[in-house]
Amino acid sequence: MAKQSRRDFFKTTALIGSATVGLANSAKASQKNALSEDRAGVLVDTSVCIGCRKCEWACKTVNNLPTDPLEVYQDRGVFKKHRRPNDKALTVVNEYPNTTSEKFPINVKVQCMHCDKPTCLSACIVGAFSKNENGSVVWDTHKCIGCRYCMVACPFQIPAFEYEEALKPDIKKCDFCFERTAKGKIPGCVEICPVEAITYGRREDLLEAAKEKIKNYPNRYVNRIFGEHEVGGTSWLYLSNRQFEELAFPKLGKDPAPGVSEAIQHGIFAYFVPPVALYALLGGVMWLNKNKKHTDAENES
Amino acid sequence: MENHKPAPVYTKYFTPVVIVLSVLALNGILFLIARFVLGIGAVTNLNNQHPWGIWIAIDVAAGVALAAGGFTTAALGHIMHKDQYHSVIRPALLTAALGYTFVAASVMIDLGRPYFIWHPLLMWNGTSVLFEVGICVMIYLTVLYIEFLPIVTERFIGRVNLPGFLKKFNQSLDKLLRVLDKGLEKTMFIFIIAGVVLSCLHQSSLGTLMVIAGPKMHPLWQTPILPLLFLLSAISVGFPMVIMESLLTSRSFKLKPETPILANLGSMVAPLLGIYLAFKIGDMVIRQTFVYLTEITTESVMFTLEMLVGVIIPLRIFLSRGLSKNPLALFIASVMVVFGVLLNRINNFLVAYTPPYEVHSYFPSFGEISVTVGFIALEVLLFRFFVIHLPIVSVPDTSTSPKTKFSIRG
Amino acid sequence: MKSKVLILLLTIPFFVYAQNKLSKQHQTQALNCKTCHSCDIPTKENPCIKPCPRERLITIEQTPEDAPAVLTIDKLKKQSDIYAPVVFTHRLHSEMAEIGGGCGMCHHYNPPGNVVACSECHDEERKRIDLSKPDLKGAYHQQCINCHRGWSRKVECESCHAQNDSVKKATKTTEKGTEKKRVHPKVKPPEIVKYDTPKTKGKVVTFNHVDHVNTFSVSCNKCHSNESCNKCHAKYKQVSISSRSANEKHTSCSNCHNVKVNCSYCHKNTVAAPFNHKTRTGFDLDKNHSKLACVRCHVEKGKFTGLKTDCSTCHGTWTKENFKHSVTGLLLDEVHADFECKDCHQENNYSNITCKNCHEDITYPKDKPGKMIKNRQTLAK
Repeated sequence: MAKQSRRDFFKTTALIGSATVGLANSAKASQKNALSEDRAGVLVDTSVCIGCRKCEWACKTVNNLPTDPLEVYQDRGVFKKHRRPNDKALTVVNEYPNTTSEKFPINVKVQCMHCDKPTCLSACIVGAFSKNENGSVVWDTHKCIGCRYCMVACPFQIPAFEYEEALKPDIKKCDFCFERTAKGKIPGCVEICPVEAITYGRREDLLEAAKEKIKNYPNRYVNRIFGEHEVGGTSWLYLSNRQFEELAFPKLGKDPAPGVSEAIQHGIFAYFVPPVALYALLGGVMWLNKNKKHTDAENES
Repeated sequence: MENHKPAPVYTKYFTPVVIVLSVLALNGILFLIARFVLGIGAVTNLNNQHPWGIWIAIDVAAGVALAAGGFTTAALGHIMHKDQYHSVIRPALLTAALGYTFVAASVMIDLGRPYFIWHPLLMWNGTSVLFEVGICVMIYLTVLYIEFLPIVTERFIGRVNLPGFLKKFNQSLDKLLRVLDKGLEKTMFIFIIAGVVLSCLHQSSLGTLMVIAGPKMHPLWQTPILPLLFLLSAISVGFPMVIMESLLTSRSFKLKPETPILANLGSMVAPLLGIYLAFKIGDMVIRQTFVYLTEITTESVMFTLEMLVGVIIPLRIFLSRGLSKNPLALFIASVMVVFGVLLNRINNFLVAYTPPYEVHSYFPSFGEISVTVGFIALEVLLFRFFVIHLPIVSVPDTSTSPKTKFSIRG
Repeated sequence: MKSKVLILLLTIPFFVYAQNKLSKQHQTQALNCKTCHSCDIPTKENPCIKPCPRERLITIEQTPEDAPAVLTIDKLKKQSDIYAPVVFTHRLHSEMAEIGGGCGMCHHYNPPGNVVACSECHDEERKRIDLSKPDLKGAYHQQCINCHRGWSRKVECESCHAQNDSVKKATKTTEKGTEKKRVHPKVKPPEIVKYDTPKTKGKVVTFNHVDHVNTFSVSCNKCHSNESCNKCHAKYKQVSISSRSANEKHTSCSNCHNVKVNCSYCHKNTVAAPFNHKTRTGFDLDKNHSKLACVRCHVEKGKFTGLKTDCSTCHGTWTKENFKHSVTGLLLDEVHADFECKDCHQENNYSNITCKNCHEDITYPKDKPGKMIKNRQTLAK
């Protein structure tokens, strides 16, 4: 290990360094993350919803999931238990007592919120999630490896996994009826809703309509649109006549959920400078130590 | 000091303990088959509220942390050039290589679609912490294998003896080994540094992994400095892991324990643990999370246990004098640190994780525990196998041991 | 300066256009602008239309008998074929609505003239630009479902329309309502309602329904708005009054009565007698005043005390010039018509008549200073 190897050492170190930087540059976001001005949304008015669960049936029907006949959905007994969307039902409706009028309980439909800054998209190891121009957050079966990190990350606890599937389990979640909306139709749940408790339209227009509603009926609504600012905004928006936290909505801040994690990640990998610097530092230490050893040995001999 | 050289340890493979371990491994494999035939849901207690269980918390997260001995000893022996520690590098390297192999295997069994494990190589997501961890672990595993190769070449150069019709390949294989050996001798330092850098990266990123869970994670653990804590704890657990496994190995193979070297290693643990403890407490004070310790919950108990047993008590033992003459205390302290880090990873990934809509809290199923225990058993069995057949453990230099050409690298 | 003039010139046609358009649309309607517009001068650019639904801004006043008996609502047929069209028993529903908000319960916006169909305001297409009001399907269901839910506590689609592929037939597809006969019997209001309150003193509160409707001319919907069928049809047990808070119990009265003071006004120990102006106030609402609305005399809103019983308090000072005596039923003869009022009526209440000033042997009403007219109303006109 003489001069030759020392020169090698520098050469190779430099080579590795530039190779990693090159890789870094070629690493472009492969998944789509579009935030269109005209992105669609849905305004859910929980004070209008009657809990008929037609949306649950329609959702299963348009998504080709097995479902009971329509009549079965009139059973309000299911409301005794708080339910969550899963791999077999992408949307569910829950019921909460109405403190002001016990005749009309409050029903809340739950499904993917289609965040503007989706946490699943940020987290996914292979970038299987995309935020599309139409507002939808869509999962790509061709990429997914089934690691379930999206489920860990999602602040709304939405993505579901087909645990019973041995060979090719899917991540299941509402995709805002991506196929249907692409053809100019509206999502299955919105289409069937008899009372139009769920209104489909441009997110901006919906926000305006929601604010107008709150202004016109200050006694009917809590002065807040859930989803306007939560985790950086969501495509699905909710109006309610009770505090959202009492209706099992999660308590979330205004910052996008992936925020801190992405900041750390980008801090550690700022243009690969920190790793390369560490590499160079360790290389330097190693070289110095070896040199010292070498001269020590020479001195001894 | 006796002239110790790494050499295969000639002893019979099967002992009563080995048979017990084999049964455990077999049991794990049976459940593994069930997992691949019936699906993850059939074997595990995982559900939509708890997507990750002990296969991730113990087999992957703790597995990575406890394999940290590989890079800490490499940094100590090769980068800092402390030659006296060379006898522990190879066992640590073997532990790391085996550990990461099983980390990869655990990931494979936990993935819903393991056959797509190569996807991250092509489908990049720069914002994903998991992507970074995955890529780093993949590269590091390769690096570990490369670092391990000289042990293989050393054992087999001039001694390739394939059975049966494969005999005709003996010569070419020997040649290949020699080429590899020569090439690696010149470039090994690249891999050693790369190994340390990659380890630092993914050990810390493993901590970042749970930051994205945000409010789903109990505030006792959820902190933006989680990556730093993970890195510090991984560095702290490196040497205790080496000490523990060296003492276990020497007992198992009836060799003289290398207490002085291990005690020296142990003396380095105290400052590392001290720094970790300082950050942990500092974080707790700044974020004022100590209020959660005033009430008795699963979280507060687990946190206290993790800190007391895993950090504070072993720190006190490592700081005590006369440790070099007391291998038992050294062993106990090391085991406690190892246990502490294991507990920390379990806490971070499982105990702290409280989803907003939780019906049942998660407890691993018998199948999950079987697989995890089976994997650990299998790891120990393979470790024993390699120690018997490859020059890993340093034994007193006798004529029977082969000449070690490549003891010092880089 | 020039540009300002230019802008002015350019905007004038818009104003003119807007005005023209408005007159065309609204010319047949005698409307107050403020009913629909929130600003003084609505323009085409800024019509400042009040947000929908303009609840009870304008309503229809028709009787249930004027309206169609049965309607088939099949406007949504082309959208979805899951359910069969609804056969809507319009007359029954309008009869039921009489107790509540009347036609306006459903027809919440309707300028005078023809009845506006829901689809004139509510889009048939759910995918649309104007999201401020629900689409037609939503509007229909929102109108129906609240009463139906309140009635049954369930959301049963089949109670209005049959599922198309289902064998089950809707229960109310037809109605024998085409004859001019009421379907829902006329609601017979109670004369009095007696409430037993937990108060120890003044336990009984008597609500005199007849008085409120007839004497005080309180319109039904002042109290009965959005009334639920359950009020009479006890399908579900009403929340018993005792479980309501004191505040809630008083709401129906507190609109008119100040319930904070003078509890004993309503809370008495026995059932109160009907309102009698003479015994309560000393002023007899004789045949001349019995048909008047309270506000004709009690002009100050909410104040019913302190009014003097003198005629001049309300009527001002009568003189022979401004008072046409024939309204009293007595047409004065030529001689008497020239007298001052005071000559015969010496007291302020005009009820006592004296002839002594001129005649010694004549007394009223035995002798009359003119001719009695039988039909005084027609003459008064």
